[in-house]
Amino acid sequence: MSQAPAQYKKQDGIISLSDQGARAVLWKPNSGALHAVTIPVTDITNLQQTPVTAPKASIRISAQETHTFTLTSAAARDNQQAITGTLRKWIEASKSVQGGGAPVPTAPPAENGNGQSASMVMAQTASSATATARAEDDSFDDAKLLRDAELQRSLLSSNPALRHRFEQALGDKPDSITINQFNSQFWSTRLHNLRSHAAERAQGAGTYNVLSVVKPQEIDGGVKLNITKEQIQLIFAQHPLVKRVYNENVPPLKESEFWSRFFFSRLLKKLKGMKITDSDNVDPKLDKYLNLDDDPDFARQLDASAVPRFIDVEGNEQNHSQRLGNRADWTMQPNSYDKVPILRTLNRMSEKMMEYVPPSDGDRHGPAGMDEDTYKELQLRDLQRADDDNRVVLKIKDQGQLFAASQGLHTSSSAATYAKRTPAQVLSAVQRNFGGISGSNGGDGLDLQAAIGVVDDDSSSDEESASNKKIRIGSRSSRVAATLQINKAIRKRHLHNDDYLLSQNAASSEQAAQLGLSQSVFDTLTMTHNTTVEFLHYFWTVYFSGDPDRAIEIGKLVETLDKSLDRIKAVADSAEAERTAKVEKLVKDNETYTQRTGRRRKFDANSVTGGAKVVNNIASPLIRAIGSAKEQFEKALREQMGHSIA
Amino acid sequence: MNAIDGTDRHVKADDTPPPSLLAIVLDTNPHAWAHLSNTLPLSSAVANLLVFINAHLASGNANEVAVIASHSHKASWLYPTPKSATPSSSSHNGTSNSSTNPPAPPENPNKYRPFALVESAILSNLSHLLTSTTEAHLASTPTTLIGGALSLALSYIAKSTLLHSPLDTSLEATALSALADSETTHAVRIPLTSRILIISVSGDLANQYIPVMNSIFAAQRKRIPIDILKLAGDTVLLQQASDATGGVYMKPERPEGILQYLMMGFLPDVTARRSFVMPSAGGVDFRAACFCHRKVVDVGYVCSVCLSIFCEPTLPDNTCLTCGSYLSLRTAQTPQPALLPRKKKKKKRVAGGTDSTTPGGTPVGSGTPMHG
Repeated sequence: MSQAPAQYKKQDGIISLSDQGARAVLWKPNSGALHAVTIPVTDITNLQQTPVTAPKASIRISAQETHTFTLTSAAARDNQQAITGTLRKWIEASKSVQGGGAPVPTAPPAENGNGQSASMVMAQTASSATATARAEDDSFDDAKLLRDAELQRSLLSSNPALRHRFEQALGDKPDSITINQFNSQFWSTRLHNLRSHAAERAQGAGTYNVLSVVKPQEIDGGVKLNITKEQIQLIFAQHPLVKRVYNENVPPLKESEFWSRFFFSRLLKKLKGMKITDSDNVDPKLDKYLNLDDDPDFARQLDASAVPRFIDVEGNEQNHSQRLGNRADWTMQPNSYDKVPILRTLNRMSEKMMEYVPPSDGDRHGPAGMDEDTYKELQLRDLQRADDDNRVVLKIKDQGQLFAASQGLHTSSSAATYAKRTPAQVLSAVQRNFGGISGSNGGDGLDLQAAIGVVDDDSSSDEESASNKKIRIGSRSSRVAATLQINKAIRKRHLHNDDYLLSQNAASSEQAAQLGLSQSVFDTLTMTHNTTVEFLHYFWTVYFSGDPDRAIEIGKLVETLDKSLDRIKAVADSAEAERTAKVEKLVKDNETYTQRTGRRRKFDANSVTGGAKVVNNIASPLIRAIGSAKEQFEKALREQMGHSIA
Repeated sequence: MNAIDGTDRHVKADDTPPPSLLAIVLDTNPHAWAHLSNTLPLSSAVANLLVFINAHLASGNANEVAVIASHSHKASWLYPTPKSATPSSSSHNGTSNSSTNPPAPPENPNKYRPFALVESAILSNLSHLLTSTTEAHLASTPTTLIGGALSLALSYIAKSTLLHSPLDTSLEATALSALADSETTHAVRIPLTSRILIISVSGDLANQYIPVMNSIFAAQRKRIPIDILKLAGDTVLLQQASDATGGVYMKPERPEGILQYLMMGFLPDVTARRSFVMPSAGGVDFRAACFCHRKVVDVGYVCSVCLSIFCEPTLPDNTCLTCGSYLSLRTAQTPQPALLPRKKKKKKRVAGGTDSTTPGGTPVGSGTPMHG
């Protein structure tokens, strides 16, 4: 196996891994000053190595005692990796073989007396449980998910909306980006989707209680039984008794006859856990099996030692509740089959089904029962009187004290405007102004009508105020302006509310009509928006990847963003063309109307909505986003050019 | 059964809209009002506000109002006048005579008495507040204590809600069920619909980010909309307040038309708003203020334990400034974008290497690694 020169207790020697017989770590000294060291792999409780960044490459193996080996060769780092790698595998293997033996060793706390251990960073051998967990995690690893083309295809086929977007983006992608680059970019922003899809695919449907699913139907007096091959197999698997009955009876009986008899027999009722009544069909052939146990070898599954005490029904015998004053419990007794057969049957069915499911809780090879932590977790803690409070205390420091540098007059955003007046001036001004209304308190109180300044019947007051160039409070013009602003805001909110409704009903045609766009233009706009957002995603991921190898990609993506702008413009143009056509048609209609009737109809081209203006209005956030992306790119590019030249 | 007992047991349900409580937080920051004195002086604003309050009181018999001044150094009640003034303050204010015993409202036969009561209380309390403000108060801060005023408003609303349904809390059983499920008992209460209107003129509210945010969340939970009339100053925090609580946000282009804004935008109470399309501000600035420098940040860093927000990734000792838990933000930093391809440099290096090796041939080639 692998060998490497290594120091042990400051003595030069050779460390090697032996695979003959029992696996072990061997260290032989070059000189005879020390004895050779042999550590059997099964004894190893902990394995640590120095991190890659540390100057020395050493390995620490904890068994009965702790041994530290420092690798001394030129390729010390590689040797260290190789040795720990192999060792870790061996340890995991031996752990899983040990199975139900000693409890999983907990990692001993790192001793600080060693001097060297300060630089030692934990790289502990994973206990087998965490190792499997890690293996599971690995299947959801980002890089692996990105490489899995099959998974991506299956996600696309299961998600039409995503597929649509993928194809759209693929069609719109610039030629300069290869399919591979495109793929990796597309999926790198959707890793979470891939991950959940992978998890979804990893799960299969389990077995089900087949007897309750198969239901014979009575049609035209005859009985029709729909049963598939898989269901028959499942019945045999779940109910060995049925298999036996089938084997012993089918040669005389026909297969279909057997099944139709079976599904009306008392035997079925018993297997389903239903109560058998006298009115049930009597079937001499099948009824003789009634007293047989469905599953003679079922008992083997009950591993008494593995049942934790607190879910063990047998335990109820010992904890006699009647003695404590409770009524006898008749559901949870171990041998009352005939009383509540359905409970037992359902329990047994669940148990059988669970057999096919890989255990999710804990390690199959772990110690029997459960480990200490699980046991503690399952204890009914809230019923205990003096339970430790296991909440994490969050210590919040007083923030005001932390950041005592509160804002003064000069740090504020309005400092410049406020600085024109001294506090004294401010105070006197405000007090003087307010004294104007509070001082008149003496007589009849405040004359509100005069104070608010609304003089409704005097239209000339506005003209006066306009000539005075100082807008009076409450003047008609300011009130009209306020009304306009509020109306505008209300209209905006109205449109937004429709947005919300539409997102639920997904009737975009109404929205398009409201905006004065045709459905096709609106759809194109939606699509353009989607792809552009997609490209913006790519741009920022690549931009912030900090990977010089992808620098060329960024340049290309910026070109793509430029093209997106062109695409938006194209949509705007087509919308404008549409609007022009609409206006022309209306004008023509008006002309014919005038010719026909000799009267002229009023027509205002501005009342026709739609066109480039609407499109640009909708796309304005998008255009702004592209602009800011390009701006930032160009700024950073200039800076870096400057650096590289200097 | 009906044939025997012929009486009509139809109980007439009370279908009048529930009473509405309007809590107004008036930002009385003197700096800002002095700055605004040319367009909208404080006196006019208050007069307009009084008209608005009268309109609110007139639109429902049981409607109530509460007015709180958010001043530069304290938040103080304008209406209702706090009942029990502490002895020290009463003796202190003995000369002014206004705070201890609010003067009886002037008898004016042309004025509805409840209006006159509110008016005189607000005016006298506000003038008292302004006279008690000193220059030192103003010099110390440019902004207003909106957080405290909001808390006052919320606690007043909570108290009034309780007062409107005294039966609920008296029973112990309901107290228990209230513990279990506060939402259902809330629905059972005789509803008092409340809302808060903040008339704000100050900016720089980011340094009260935390208390204001807490108030916002409390209001959100109690379904109290916070309306904002922003006459001046930057908008960040309050816009979020109205958005989160479903209130109305208004930044008037023409503050002179304040009465129109108040009447059109803010008069409908919560019950009426269900049938209305209320004006909206459109885009909302959702940025938060960082906890370390009270700056409004675009991209910030968040402690995973206590959710404190920081504006820069370098924290002292890699611990969260608020809760002290370990927080290393090194990995959260985005790498510097590399926009120049590395290939150029590589080429140069490769070219340099070939240059040195080819002319020398093998002996020189074997010699170079030794130098290197």
